[in-house]
Amino acid sequence: MRNFIALTRRELGVYFVSPMAYIILTAMLVLSGQMFVQYMTNYAANQLPVDYRETLQWLIMVIVLTCPLVTMRLIAEERSKGTLEIILTAPISDAAFVLAKFAASIVLLLSLLVLTVGYLIIISHYGPVDVGAAACGYLGLLLVGGVLYSAGLFISSLCSSQITAGVLTFALATLLIMANILSSRAEGSFWAPILAFVDLSLNFNDFLKGVVDRTRLVYLLSVIAFFLFLTTRVVESRRWR
Amino acid sequence: MIDVSNLTKTYPGVVAVDDLSFQVGKGEIVGFLGPNGAGKSTTMRILTCFIAPTSGSAKLAGFDVVEQSMEVRRRVGYLPESNALYTEMRVEEYLLFRARLRNLSGAERASRVGEALEKVRLTERRRSIIAHLSKGLRQRVGIADAILHRPEIVILDEPTIGLDPTQVREVRELIRGLGEAHTVLFSSHILSEVEKICGRVLILSKGKVAAFGTPEEIANQLMKTGNVRLEVRGEGRKIKETLEAVAGVARILWSSKGEMHTYVVEPKDGQDLRPALLRACMSGGYEVYELGYERRTLEEAFTMLTEAPGKGGGA
Repeated sequence: MRNFIALTRRELGVYFVSPMAYIILTAMLVLSGQMFVQYMTNYAANQLPVDYRETLQWLIMVIVLTCPLVTMRLIAEERSKGTLEIILTAPISDAAFVLAKFAASIVLLLSLLVLTVGYLIIISHYGPVDVGAAACGYLGLLLVGGVLYSAGLFISSLCSSQITAGVLTFALATLLIMANILSSRAEGSFWAPILAFVDLSLNFNDFLKGVVDRTRLVYLLSVIAFFLFLTTRVVESRRWR
Repeated sequence: MIDVSNLTKTYPGVVAVDDLSFQVGKGEIVGFLGPNGAGKSTTMRILTCFIAPTSGSAKLAGFDVVEQSMEVRRRVGYLPESNALYTEMRVEEYLLFRARLRNLSGAERASRVGEALEKVRLTERRRSIIAHLSKGLRQRVGIADAILHRPEIVILDEPTIGLDPTQVREVRELIRGLGEAHTVLFSSHILSEVEKICGRVLILSKGKVAAFGTPEEIANQLMKTGNVRLEVRGEGRKIKETLEAVAGVARILWSSKGEMHTYVVEPKDGQDLRPALLRACMSGGYEVYELGYERRTLEEAFTMLTEAPGKGGGA
């Protein structure tokens, strides 16, 4: 346990001691803040009631953008620098190593989400905010982010170049977010229901309505577990390849 | 302490380690010697549980590297060839992190890190960022990490590579010091280095043991050429003729520097020509300054061994 915490702390150190986390967080806040202002002016101009949901929905796109930035270096960097060797010859299991990486990236995601709570506070001045539903929306964001980050971690474990990992992660994340668009294009085909099922924004919509659907919850959690499992296997593979 | 038997590691199309077997006792310093690509790093990576062998087994401190990998890792300190460090960290911070990875408790951490820093003489640089350190100092950080948890076995892969002569000497002294408390296995492709600090030397060639023994043993086995070297003062050509007249001489190489002449006499079928040659010189009235077997340097023996495996024979 102590070594797991040590690894997580080091990972966080890489993000927060270097300017990296601040750059990512600032960029994402600028991006989401811009959209937030857009939405708010729109409500005011059209005399619509303020709504936090569009902002949360937009945050999914922001998470998609952060995903490669946050995850691409996680394992690829250790591989290319050779530090994987000193970590994996220390008495720490491959699974703990992978989990520590994931935990650190999730902490970064959480700090982004916490910062966006500011938007809700602003909205609450102009109209009622359903706190339960909003919390539910954030849970959804966390789960969707978890899926994207675990997928990014997995891709990072396969690559020794961070850039390759980043590009592939971005491609996969985009696909997962836009699968429903592809699904409607492929209407009637074998792939349509599958694409609609894996689509993350559709999975997120229930959460946004304030509904925690058990199927969705189990689905998202198992996808995360699956990617973490795959990553562990990839890390382990050095022992049997 | 280290018990390797029939260890084999193959990569597609390449046999990196080929049926390797050897034992290292407690407290020994063993040098792993071989040209690049001889399988030194691969063997070390197997011993430190980074990769698994294709077949065969290795036990460190009684634990199997595949079956009881965690137990092995707890007892081994390792400096990889790349000496990759988290360069954005400070020396002390990095070592404390490594101590945490090794599950040392708070009080232990501080004392062990202090101890290791002291041993590699980095105490004054403990606040430096690793990225700002010279290669030699970074190497010391790596070694400090390898001995941090007082492991029973220390494995150092090319600890002196890329260092200047002074730093090489320092690292060498450091390794010699480690031998008191740890079993040390270290690799190098520089022979003189290994010779100076090791109890025993293992020469690897193409994944196989080419020779294993004390430097003297290897030297005695491999350095004798059977040729006799003579340094004689007098008239060169005449001396050569005198020597050629000795029964059993196959060939003579002659070089001279003023009055002094050096001859290397190659005998027929390996007989000892020393007494006969001396007698011949004495009767000719020449002054003999030196007479003895011509010795290959360990360097030459090493080259011979690693370039033509099997010819040199094992020790």
